[in-house]
Amino acid sequence: MAQVELLIRDDAERQALHPLGPLDLARRLPGLIVSAKEVAATVMHGVHGRKRAGAGETFWQFRPFTYGEASARIDWRRSARDDRLYVREREWEAAHTVWIWCDRSPSMAYVSGLALQPKIDRALVLGLALADCLVRGGERVGIPGLTRAFAARDIVERLAERMAEESARPGHVAGELPPAEALAPRTQAVILSDFLSDPHEIAATIRAMSARGARGHLVMIMDPVEETFPFSGHTEFRDVDSSARLRVGEAQSFRADYIRRLAEHRDSLRAAARARGWSFALHHTDRPASEALLNLRMQLEVGQGG
Amino acid sequence: MLGLPLAFAAPFVLSALLVLPAFWYLLRLTPPRPREIAFPPLRLILDLQAREETPAHTPWWLLALRLLLAAFIIIAMAGPVWNPPPASLVARGPVLVLMDDGWTAAPDWAERVNAAAERMASANREGRPAALVALSEGAREIIAQDSARVTERLRALKPVPYVADRRLALPAIEKFLSREKQAEIVWIADGLISGFADEFSRDLGTLAGANPVHLVRASRPLLAISSTENAAGALEVTLTRAQTQTPAAGQLRAFDKKGLAMGQGSFDFGASLEAKATFDLPIELRNDIARVEIEGEHSAGAVSLLDERWKRRRVGLAAGSTADVAQPLLSPLYYLRRALQPFAEVREAQAGRGDPILSLLEDRLSVLVLADIGVITGKTRDEVLRFVTEGGVLLRFAGTRLAGASDDLVPVRLRRGGRVLGGAMSWDQPKQLASFPAESPFAGLSIPQEVTVTRQVLAEPDANLPARTWAQLADGTPLVTAEKRGKGVIVLVHVTADTTWSNLPLSGLFVDMLRRTVALSGETLATGQDAQGQRVETLAPQRSLNGFGALGAPPLNARPIPANFTGAPDAEHPPGFYGPPEAQVAINTLQPGEKLEMAKYETTFVSEPLLRAAPVDLRASLIALALALLLVDAFASLWLAGGFDRLPWRKVARRGAAALLLSLATLIVSPDHARAQTKPGDAALTTRLAYVVTGDAQADEASRLGLASLSRALAARTALSPGEPQGIDPARDELAFFPLIYWPVVATRPQPSPEAVTRIANFMKQGGTVIFDTRDALTARPSGPPSPEQQWLRTMLTGVDVPELEPIPRSHVVTKTFYLLENFVGRTTVGQTWIEALPPENADQSNRPVRAGDGVSPVIITSNDFAGAWAADQNGSPLYPLVPGGNRQRELALRAGVNLVMYTLTGNYKADQVHVRDLLERLGH
Repeated sequence: MAQVELLIRDDAERQALHPLGPLDLARRLPGLIVSAKEVAATVMHGVHGRKRAGAGETFWQFRPFTYGEASARIDWRRSARDDRLYVREREWEAAHTVWIWCDRSPSMAYVSGLALQPKIDRALVLGLALADCLVRGGERVGIPGLTRAFAARDIVERLAERMAEESARPGHVAGELPPAEALAPRTQAVILSDFLSDPHEIAATIRAMSARGARGHLVMIMDPVEETFPFSGHTEFRDVDSSARLRVGEAQSFRADYIRRLAEHRDSLRAAARARGWSFALHHTDRPASEALLNLRMQLEVGQGG
Repeated sequence: MLGLPLAFAAPFVLSALLVLPAFWYLLRLTPPRPREIAFPPLRLILDLQAREETPAHTPWWLLALRLLLAAFIIIAMAGPVWNPPPASLVARGPVLVLMDDGWTAAPDWAERVNAAAERMASANREGRPAALVALSEGAREIIAQDSARVTERLRALKPVPYVADRRLALPAIEKFLSREKQAEIVWIADGLISGFADEFSRDLGTLAGANPVHLVRASRPLLAISSTENAAGALEVTLTRAQTQTPAAGQLRAFDKKGLAMGQGSFDFGASLEAKATFDLPIELRNDIARVEIEGEHSAGAVSLLDERWKRRRVGLAAGSTADVAQPLLSPLYYLRRALQPFAEVREAQAGRGDPILSLLEDRLSVLVLADIGVITGKTRDEVLRFVTEGGVLLRFAGTRLAGASDDLVPVRLRRGGRVLGGAMSWDQPKQLASFPAESPFAGLSIPQEVTVTRQVLAEPDANLPARTWAQLADGTPLVTAEKRGKGVIVLVHVTADTTWSNLPLSGLFVDMLRRTVALSGETLATGQDAQGQRVETLAPQRSLNGFGALGAPPLNARPIPANFTGAPDAEHPPGFYGPPEAQVAINTLQPGEKLEMAKYETTFVSEPLLRAAPVDLRASLIALALALLLVDAFASLWLAGGFDRLPWRKVARRGAAALLLSLATLIVSPDHARAQTKPGDAALTTRLAYVVTGDAQADEASRLGLASLSRALAARTALSPGEPQGIDPARDELAFFPLIYWPVVATRPQPSPEAVTRIANFMKQGGTVIFDTRDALTARPSGPPSPEQQWLRTMLTGVDVPELEPIPRSHVVTKTFYLLENFVGRTTVGQTWIEALPPENADQSNRPVRAGDGVSPVIITSNDFAGAWAADQNGSPLYPLVPGGNRQRELALRAGVNLVMYTLTGNYKADQVHVRDLLERLGH
């Protein structure tokens, strides 16, 4: 039977630790930052420019000058070598805005013996690593409701700082979903969460965020235990976000039901995402973080291309 | 209960066991606490709750555990007792305890008293009176009393050294039973038939009628000595027992009159009812044995007392005829020899040694037997007379020579010629023997019918004749006459010692008569010669055995016995020694040849074993068990609820393992050298003298002080500065470091083990010297029997290669190693000191002043008690008196010691001074 552990064990502890933010984020962030950078470095390679001419700094191609263009665009050095006029085109390097949301609600603070790290750690690592990658790729990154989108070399540290700061704010309750506000067109949203809340609420959030045409990606982070439900015998289950409890005589009899329910839940999420053109991906904490990051990066490429 | 020795103090509590099923039902309904698991996606299945709530049953094993726990507690509350005290007595009336208190009850007397006390205690608890009957004091009236007071009387009871007739108690029991109809009888019996146990049992069964009778019997087999015989080679002891079920083997110990141990013999019954043990000792030592007892068997029957009759006498035989050599089987000496050899040392006159009788008397005889020697005259007669007056027994047999002429060494005047019965010229038939007179030493011997006398010498009728007659024929003519002369006695048998005159020498009676006659030597003659009437001399009790087999003052009711007492001892004649100290008569508990037989008791008696295991209260262990189960239950519940998952197991396991390892390590490393031992290195660094620790505190102290004093003298006078002397145990200590070991011989100590003897032998072979000091110069006689110390030393040295010894010669180098000495004295001066014999002198060495062998003598034996003479306290004042005494003797003893030490250290070096002349001559050249 799987060993499960909550980073915060019970309600009393949760209350006591609340001012410091869930999971005393500040304490653990430096470690997460390091691992986020490591993860980002592993995926830095395969990702390149936009493969098209545009506003950028790197050389893309020379093309013949067409009439009517601003003469200032003529590359005189190249044009001097023969009788034609050439224009130096640079690769298009337009900066996009990506909003990254890491779920820091108590249900994320969950780890079983089968997992490599808690769900929240995985979410943060993924989010921060993604931010690092994107900023190096010239994008601007922000946390909805917390920061503006910006690009900075120390984007990881600054985002982490802001999150820690927010968690430390008295009375703060970490939300499961980002604020349901419409994002600007051509921006993208990445939501890293376990999505264990009401699917209608999630669908509503997606609808609100994509109201102006923003695209997005949902990454559902699950502990393997949550996937397989390896419990048996007389067991009392306890919810993490609420005080709900479920005492069952034989846990194994619930397994089939649970897996069916989970699939339904997931299907509804997937449907909600697809309805707005968003992508939906599943990530388990017993898999390496780089795998999810690479996957996410590809999705972002696709999203930008669209 | 159910055949098990298990009882409950409060059996009704056991009814609570009926509640167990209800308990089981309750337990089933209360499952253990579930495991609690935090599960974030719980809300997905929260609404499933109503569907299935299978109640988790308590696992069956946990249920069983808890039921067991409850059962244990209930049983513990009922007060279970393993091996409960004897089943509470049945009847309501008084308890009558009959105690067998003969010697047969002595070995397990304490258990018997306890068994009786237990019954009385249980009677006391029930408020019933009790009565106690010691079956040896049967006729006393029985009164039921408060059982506590009876218990007091019980504690004062001691076994008696005989077995009384139990039937004497029957009338009193009958009276008691007629008074107390409800009485209950407990008989603590010895299990043997002696004392009319069978008849008593039958009558008791009749008397008791419906009253219950408990028969408490011991299972321990009883051993006893039935007879002791001083046989030809050894002292033979015959043991007997009543049953053959259990093997019995053990040791016998022999003691002399003063209680000193004389020897040990072992016996093994095997599967038979009888066993033999022998004491293989020299005859002188054997004759000193006064008491033989079975080790560890404390009863009067396990003790055999020996008096003069058991002494093996030295008997000299001489015959008048010389032609007997031609036909040895017809010689009277042949019959005498065969009859005497089983119980006496027989010496015969050597041919060609002058007067045979005189040469026999030189052998210090007890009895002189003269077969058909007519007249003894001159010096021989005087010597024989002196022998008799000093206590010897002169036994003469008639014959043709004696019939012809006799001297005055006969008890009665004889008629010349004798008479012939049943011959061709006679009217008479061969005569048979009449029964022996009561005062005769032969009294009690049975007379075989086939013994007849055809010829005899006749005594002149005389007023004294009847008093002097020990045996007579059917017609009243004396056959054996005796007369006391001085301390001794002259006995005349009026027939020959061969078969020519009678067939008496062929019968067993002849042997018995000779035995009794020989036993007379050394004993003051019991029958008064000069007594006119039939007065029988009596012997007062001197020391008596008690029931446990210990000798002590005779009890008040002990009465003198007739000198020729035969029969079983009883209350008035307890076993023990009777008569004056120099001629004691031993009365033993068992008659020779007496057998022990099991009694057959009435089958209606309720048989109970005497020895029971002590009652064990099981309450505490049951509660402890229940607590342990509770602990197991607690752990099991914790485990079922998943409580273990939260414990930091690894840390716990690590600490547990560390603790376990630590305790194991302490176990392993714990010091096993608990025994303090002298370090061998210590002994090697300094030369020191050593003495053997004998175990006799006085001898060891003398050795230690003596050697210390000698060491001081050596340090003061010689170049040697020995260390503090050391006591050693030859079996354990390394001997190689000591040049000289002083060994005082203490005869009362056990022999050293064979290993120790081997080590001593090796020590001697490797050049060490052992001084054995027997310290018996005053008690040992040079030509006499070996003293106990010498005997002890001889026994010990049997396994050692001892060289030929000689008294230290004047020219031996040991007399010149430091001081010039003439002899070696200690506390005494008369003892001889022996040393290894030197090789014989060569002709060219005869003028040498000193001689030495090749090495140092490995053994020096002295009897002068060196250490006693050396011993002095810290101030140098001597500790033991010297014989004859004087400071000079003490100085000489010290010089002897110095010489001995120098001898062991320097060997034959001093002998080399004989070469001094040659050396000087060589230097001169």
